[in-house]
Amino acid sequence: MPAIEVENLRKVFYISKKDPGLAGAVKALFRPRFDEKVAVDGISLRVEPGEMVGYIGVNGAGKSTTIKMLTGVLVPTGGTVRVLGRDPHRDRVANARDVGVVFGQRSQMWWDLALVESLNLIAKIYEIPAARYRELLDEFAATLELNELLSVPIRNMSLGQKMRAELAATLIHEPKVVYLDEPTIGLDLIVKERIRDFIKEQNRTRGTTVILTTHDLGDIEELCQRVIIIDAGHIIFDGPISTIKDRFGKYREITFEVAAGAARLELPAGADVIAAEPRTLALRFDRTQTTASQVAAAVMSQVDVRDFSLAEPDLSAIVKQIYNGALQEEAAA
Amino acid sequence: MQRYLNLYGAFLGQQFKSYAEYRANFIIGASSTIMMQAANLLTVWVVMQQIPDFNGWGFSELLLIYGLITLSKSINHMFADNLWTVGRVYIRSGQFDRFLVRPIDPLFHLIADRFCYDGVGNFLVGVVLLGAALAGLDLAWTPLVPLYILLAVLSGGGIFIALNLITCVTSFWIMDSVPVTRAIFDNHLFAQYPLTIYPKAVTTLLTWLIPYGFASFYPASYLLGHDVGVYAWAGPVVAAVLLFAGYRFWQFGLRHYSGTGS
Repeated sequence: MPAIEVENLRKVFYISKKDPGLAGAVKALFRPRFDEKVAVDGISLRVEPGEMVGYIGVNGAGKSTTIKMLTGVLVPTGGTVRVLGRDPHRDRVANARDVGVVFGQRSQMWWDLALVESLNLIAKIYEIPAARYRELLDEFAATLELNELLSVPIRNMSLGQKMRAELAATLIHEPKVVYLDEPTIGLDLIVKERIRDFIKEQNRTRGTTVILTTHDLGDIEELCQRVIIIDAGHIIFDGPISTIKDRFGKYREITFEVAAGAARLELPAGADVIAAEPRTLALRFDRTQTTASQVAAAVMSQVDVRDFSLAEPDLSAIVKQIYNGALQEEAAA
Repeated sequence: MQRYLNLYGAFLGQQFKSYAEYRANFIIGASSTIMMQAANLLTVWVVMQQIPDFNGWGFSELLLIYGLITLSKSINHMFADNLWTVGRVYIRSGQFDRFLVRPIDPLFHLIADRFCYDGVGNFLVGVVLLGAALAGLDLAWTPLVPLYILLAVLSGGGIFIALNLITCVTSFWIMDSVPVTRAIFDNHLFAQYPLTIYPKAVTTLLTWLIPYGFASFYPASYLLGHDVGVYAWAGPVVAAVLLFAGYRFWQFGLRHYSGTGS
């Protein structure tokens, strides 16, 4: 049985339409008009147990709406969702026992309570057996370095501390499926690293299925083998990260260290100079039109080159291209 | 059921710990409700000094009505105060989402999330009022009387909670349901006095539409030996029906919940 199975999922929001000003507000009161906003437009996907999937897209692409339907917070307008074989909305309680959710920047804990008190209450809500809870608390306190934080109220924690606490609170009932919505937003590199390690560890030792939405592609590269990209409510890519790089890493960069710059360069079609300084020359080329060796040969025949390096396509640059519509070009070509 | 009771205890215990951090808040909250009640009561007392007979009702009799509704209201205030602010505090901020991903009933979670200590002030005032009323009245005491009072207060509390529940569901569409809740809730002010003083329309309203009458006037009348027919015993039924309807409406609203942006 797949961990998550989504078929033709849709969510339409009805947003009341108002003319500006008080008159508009009054008019809307008596004759409400609604705009339809299709947030998620017929997506289908399947996630196997133990997979870690990155779910990315620009703001407003439909990521959070999808996650909310997967967690049972929102009821789909159309299509079906099955998480561990259940409909998360209809079977809310049973579903909630097996899933954990980190909702971006809002805490699921009690603001004024010490962390350990919040965790105790969560343990009661999830009916975690006392002995098991002790074990997990010790384990998480060690791996997330929470020992000194246990007696601190959430409101007194820094962002990084809060997120570590949040992960403990989300995983303490050993969910089979975990949704992490922006778990590393605003965190420094060290905390990010620790959080990624913790997630990796959970996946490795417990086989936890992880759906990760993030704008930090470092998270994706570190954690996920598979990426799903959503844009305007549609899935525009679903596959391994390596495929993205192969298929969409259309542009590569090549940098030359030169003795002296040339006034004008004759370059193969598809190659452009992106930076020219006295001693370095950076070029970008479209590898569907030319190759690194053609570009290098052309440059070397015109300039005195001492050294050169070819940059691997970097995921965030590629994703930026995809967001900007490179994918549609690709499909059209 | 047992599980929910235990959980409620756990929630309550934890809140007590966090309230302990804000002791001043608690004291101010509870004493301000006591002061508000005292001011209301003073008004009644001043009026009664001038007109000892209020449309056939004596001071202690009025006090009985007032005490019963205050106790009913305090139950709502203590245990279900979050129904007031579900839209403003929980839905608008997105905090409501976390109730929906926990393995307990979201309505229970909402209600258990806050025990309102201010309501304790109301409860104490209610006890004093009721005590004073009973002391001033010459009731025939049987074991049935305290049981009847308990039942009346509990069903009155149920009616208050149910009406707030029904009105708070509108926050699934309009975000802030406080004005809607207030519009209905404020009708309980009529029910602080004998319904016989009002035109028929008001009496009907408070019996059939917004039945706060069952939280005060009808049980008080029964205790005083006035004949109000089946209305004397209708309170629990009214409360049960309204609570059931409220819960169904809540579930309907939940299906239409669309959350906030992110």
